[in-house]
Amino acid sequence: MRNLLLVARREYLEQIRGRAFRITTVLVPVLFLVLIGIMIFAGRSASGPKHLVIASNDAALAAEVRQQLAAGDQSKSRVDIQSPVNPQDRAMLVHRVRSKSIDGFLWIDAPAGQTPKATYESQSSGDFITDARLSAALNHAVVRRRLAATGIRVPDVDALLKNVDIDTLQVNKKGAEVKSNAMSSFWKGYAMAFLLSMTTMIYGMNVARSIIQEKTSRIFEVMLATAKPSDLLAGKLIGVGAVGLTQIAIWVAAVGAIGTSIAAPLLSGQLNLHFGWVEGILFPAYFVLGYLLYASLFAGLAASCETEQELQMYTPLAALPIWLSFALIVLVVNNPDSALSIAASLFPATAPIIMMLRVGSQMPPWWQFAASMAIMILSIWGVLWVSSRLYRVGILMYGKRATLPELVRWLRYS
Amino acid sequence: MPVVELAAVTKTYENKVAVHNLSLLIEPGQMFGLLGPNGAGKTSSIRMMMGITVPDSGKVSLFGKPFDRKSLNRVGYLPEERGLYRKMKVVDQLVFFGELHGISPQESRRRATDWAKRIEIADSLNMKTEELSKGMQQKIQFIASLLHDPDLIVMDEPFSGLDPVNATLLERTLIELKEQGKAIIFSTHRMDQVEKLCDTICLINKGEAVLSGKMREIKSRYERNRVIVEFEGDASFLKSAEIAEARNFSGHAEIRLLPQGNAQKLLHEASAVATIYRFEVIEPSLEEIFIQTVGGKSDA
Repeated sequence: MRNLLLVARREYLEQIRGRAFRITTVLVPVLFLVLIGIMIFAGRSASGPKHLVIASNDAALAAEVRQQLAAGDQSKSRVDIQSPVNPQDRAMLVHRVRSKSIDGFLWIDAPAGQTPKATYESQSSGDFITDARLSAALNHAVVRRRLAATGIRVPDVDALLKNVDIDTLQVNKKGAEVKSNAMSSFWKGYAMAFLLSMTTMIYGMNVARSIIQEKTSRIFEVMLATAKPSDLLAGKLIGVGAVGLTQIAIWVAAVGAIGTSIAAPLLSGQLNLHFGWVEGILFPAYFVLGYLLYASLFAGLAASCETEQELQMYTPLAALPIWLSFALIVLVVNNPDSALSIAASLFPATAPIIMMLRVGSQMPPWWQFAASMAIMILSIWGVLWVSSRLYRVGILMYGKRATLPELVRWLRYS
Repeated sequence: MPVVELAAVTKTYENKVAVHNLSLLIEPGQMFGLLGPNGAGKTSSIRMMMGITVPDSGKVSLFGKPFDRKSLNRVGYLPEERGLYRKMKVVDQLVFFGELHGISPQESRRRATDWAKRIEIADSLNMKTEELSKGMQQKIQFIASLLHDPDLIVMDEPFSGLDPVNATLLERTLIELKEQGKAIIFSTHRMDQVEKLCDTICLINKGEAVLSGKMREIKSRYERNRVIVEFEGDASFLKSAEIAEARNFSGHAEIRLLPQGNAQKLLHEASAVATIYRFEVIEPSLEEIFIQTVGGKSDA
């Protein structure tokens, strides 16, 4: 036990004092902020001011569409109306789009007594935001006109068509209704899942890299003459895991200290993220479990590899469950109680990330936490059993890559 | 009480027998040479003594008791595959190794400083290992293996990569430790070094002990049939009926006598025709004994 702690302490201090720790501690949050900034900027740019033309022989309809667009438009787009129009005008408009003097035009054919037909032509085929806005504005204008045609007074028509906002409330465990926001639930779960997957991957890889380096530097022979292989492996896992927890604690403390001034405007409003004590317990618990599972797996892999390059070949396979977890995001956030969501949150490789996503949208029952943690602990034990055997033999094998039959024999040796 | 005892130890890897039925006994105050060509099974034998691997059969005892990891606190090990933490400061590294052997950090630091002065590497204590030359790293590893004042010191190829000055420095240190009553196992394929330092040897070839015992006794078992003659004058005595083979290097002749050849008769014949400055009947070298024993069929 004493040697285990000494190995863990050495591993912890060496990594904490290392340049890589200082750089990632500062750089990761900075990159996060930059990433969020870029996302916000890109989101705003996507719905930025545009120069559009509405072309139709029905000048009144065109004017109404423009009015609707202007009502919901915060980007101050410029919308011109061209009416009346003929086929030559359409060719001219196409030319203007091509020469980029306008961003696009909406061509409305509105024969009397028939449903209008509309075409939107623009520089970008993927401009779905403008597409959706035009569609909503046109439909609104047509419905308004049809209602007016039935004899309803225009103010009544406007009253009928007035948009209704939906407030989202979440029923909590006690049956009380609390204000919630679908977007903030998604982002909360996503943020926790992302941080968790990133940290488990980084620190799992750190364990693997550390084993490869020690294997390359031939330190194992000396170490094995003083400590048991199980102490060396456990010490390494604990030491590196403690570095991960330290880094997360620094980030959390930093957010606590400066986050209120910097992040508050960002995280309030639509992204109203609240992290309670439940997340404060669950996140570190799932970090530790997820980290131990991945780090044990990587340790076994590293012990059977010769170089870091060789290890990197296997990394995508080991990261597969993390990718799988992210592929299930939409399903889990929308249906956190579905059978697939529950199964994924109990499956050890995906449990940490999926559980964080579920916590974000709806708190699962306590027995599911208990079951997922119990399954994870059993899985960690199983993976450690295999990895420690590969480790014990692999760290003394130099010079050639182990084949699969050799790995099976290593398991039998120990 | 023997410090190390291997009793009929066998170790097989995959289909290769690394050590076969090896028995040896090492007493306190003994400098024991474990000899053999590369791949003979020396490192495999040492790894079993250190508990790094477990024998398939046979028994390993340390300090009179069956192998127990606790005994390793009394063992210092310098493996053939040198290894240090490259990014760590030398002194921190030595303190860490001291602590692993149960010594307090303060005491480890004190001993590390003393040893560094003794083997002339004190200036490097505050440097990172990666900043040191290979030879200097080897000296640090030498200290790491001795810091906890072990009763058994296992040195696997301790002088490889060292310049003659530093090799002599470490040789002298090992002799001092032997005089203090420490048992030292010295594994190498360099027979000349063993011949100089060891009093007891075990010669291994292809995993098996081919020769073992006290160096003097072993050598005395072999005939003194080699003669060195330094002379001036007629070299016709080199065609004597006593000689099986002779090589003359301008007055320095190396002679191998016939099995029944008589050295005294040869001396008479030589002195009759030439001026003799040196006439020495020498014992066979360890290397010759080895070649004679295994018939020159080693894996090296």
